[in-house]
Amino acid sequence: MRTNWASATAIALLLSLSTSAAHAEEVTAWRLFISDHADPKVTVIDAIDGEKLDTFEIKGPASLHRSESGRTVFAVQGSAGVVAGIASGISFEDHGEHGDIDVEAPKFAGVEITGNKPSHFVEHGGDFAVFFDGEGVARIISEKSVLEGKPDFMEVKTDAPQHGVAVAYGSHVLLSEPNREKPDELPVGIRVTDKAGAPIGGIHACPDLHGEASSGNILAFACATGLLVVSHGDGSPAVRHLPYADSLPDGKTTTLIGGRGLQYFLGNYGADKVVLIDPTIESDSFRLINLPTRRVHFAVDPVCAKFAYVITEDGQLHQLDVVKGEIANSLKLTGPYSMDGHWSDPRPRVAVAGDKIVVTDPLQGVLHLVDATSFEKTGDIAVEGKPFNIVSVGGSGQTHAGE
Amino acid sequence: MSRTLKLAAVIGAITSLPIAPSVAAAENLRVVASFSIIADFAKNVGGDRVDIVTLVGPNGDAHVYEPKPADAATVGSADVVLVNGLQFEGFLQRLVEASATKAPIVELTKGGEVLRNTEEEGHHDQHKAAEGEGGHAAAAEEGHEEGHHHHGESDPHAWQSVHNAELYVKNIADAFCAADAAGCDTYRANAKSYGQQLEALEAEIKAAVAEIPEDKRTIITSHDAYKYFEHEYGIKFLAPEGVSTESEASASDVAALIKQIRQDKASAIFVENVTNPRLIEQIASETGLKVGGELYSDALSDKNGPAATYLEMMRHNITTIKGAILGS
Ligand SMILES: [Zn+2]
Repeated sequence: MRTNWASATAIALLLSLSTSAAHAEEVTAWRLFISDHADPKVTVIDAIDGEKLDTFEIKGPASLHRSESGRTVFAVQGSAGVVAGIASGISFEDHGEHGDIDVEAPKFAGVEITGNKPSHFVEHGGDFAVFFDGEGVARIISEKSVLEGKPDFMEVKTDAPQHGVAVAYGSHVLLSEPNREKPDELPVGIRVTDKAGAPIGGIHACPDLHGEASSGNILAFACATGLLVVSHGDGSPAVRHLPYADSLPDGKTTTLIGGRGLQYFLGNYGADKVVLIDPTIESDSFRLINLPTRRVHFAVDPVCAKFAYVITEDGQLHQLDVVKGEIANSLKLTGPYSMDGHWSDPRPRVAVAGDKIVVTDPLQGVLHLVDATSFEKTGDIAVEGKPFNIVSVGGSGQTHAGE
Repeated sequence: MSRTLKLAAVIGAITSLPIAPSVAAAENLRVVASFSIIADFAKNVGGDRVDIVTLVGPNGDAHVYEPKPADAATVGSADVVLVNGLQFEGFLQRLVEASATKAPIVELTKGGEVLRNTEEEGHHDQHKAAEGEGGHAAAAEEGHEEGHHHHGESDPHAWQSVHNAELYVKNIADAFCAADAAGCDTYRANAKSYGQQLEALEAEIKAAVAEIPEDKRTIITSHDAYKYFEHEYGIKFLAPEGVSTESEASASDVAALIKQIRQDKASAIFVENVTNPRLIEQIASETGLKVGGELYSDALSDKNGPAATYLEMMRHNITTIKGAILGS
């Protein structure tokens, strides 16, 4: 025996101490991007010290999306007909044993995607697809192009305007199929096309298609009948239908988010419930969780994979244990926000920034901060106007002096 | 059986044991094995004193496995968790964190000789491999070059040497003894008799390799899963993908390999049970090599397949390799 594992580790450790640790510094940075319910702006706040970093003037009130890499934040301005890319200023480079972090000022990326009624925004594998409901058209652009400020997007058309969705899935595109008989209603299925938009195979039925998410290597769409589950097939995407379990009450999922670190999906199901979904198992795929009142918003914890969070209309934030499938903790954070009224009225939204859970309170003009470990409230950050949609980007990494 | 175990049984494979489940649930050691090969070792050591749940089941690829909430529940209720280590289970840390388990996480490669991949991704230095320098202490020196960059990955596929399998078995017996002292004599006795089967297996493999002419001992598989086999038994393996299946081979990697195959006069090419056969089929057609069959690399077959146990897997692999080379 020449080298055993223990001594090989010791050598590697010594080397990393001598060559990199001397100059390396561990840095943690988290930023919050917050849109306003009424005003066309995006406020950027340093989540570590609560200081405002910048305010970006945009063209209309926006919903926000962050890229998987965290390098880009998108402001989808439905009424203004534009999607603006903002470089978050935080990026990581993976070196195997550790990641390097680079922190710069956030700035407009210089790319805008325009069109009639941009709605659903989906990233898959570094490609973004924005669906323009008013045109029934998806515009697809890579993160690389956005960050280089190059507006070179690809367009894929469906047959009719619809409240639709598109996903750039490797060398294929998944496109929602409009409801031809009732054009005002939700799409009826998904079709797979090549990059030029030519259909491959038939339509995968998904009545009342609304809501999609990715978790690990699985993508799912929510339908009235269950989920369409998409995975890598042999040459083209494999699509199958997972019906809702017979044990579930009547209902459907219309908003879906995907677990990070653990592979699962979390969806709404009726006004006062959420459902945990594991599409990889044959039975017990759906676990229903009852909430004390109607649900306002929910998010998964990207750091502590075991938890997701739901805010309900009574102003409580609930910590959901996705392993046990139950509410582990609840905390009163805001005043009541009734779910009566319009779906887009100002109500709280949840994001997770490292060890902080951040909840917007639009009517009070503050962000509430909750420690993710103790699940106790730790502070507030005042934000002018009606802070509404929120995303966070950041993490920890090393910086190397003199590089 | 608890609901947790039932759930997990669907995604993985529960090794059923010849004992009434009601008795088993009350007394048996609850063992989680990260993948099928370890589960088979554990079954041989644990016998009817353990209940084993496997996370990544037959023909599954542990390199890219995505843990589910049910897996976290399974790990959370385990008495012992058996893993390979050496970053084979990329999902391990987040799964263990989510499970909040108090069970020992036992790395079965601990105490063994570890090969390291010192090469840049996709660059396969044949001379180095041929000289038997495919890793070891040289890895540390290479790591020096770029400071915080590539130190050389440890190759996790240690079970591909039967010699190492004996270490896995010893480590499992130690872990079971620590968790269940009353069963220790049984575990040691089981490990000893299984060890004899491993020794017989190793002798068979060596005898089979000896029948292959030395200039015909270069073959192709899809990922670098057989460096321990190569190191121990002297069959040289080339592969378009590295030690993890996580990153796909680039076009230039494949082109370089095809060039190398032509120079090396590789004798046979094989698909693997855990990876897509497409790339191997493409290389086969471009080089005129005929696909010599399917090798089992990182997982057993299901129970009806030709590699339902570790002993069957190793026999199947060497028989398939020898058959393809000698038949070519
Ligand atoms: Zn492998």
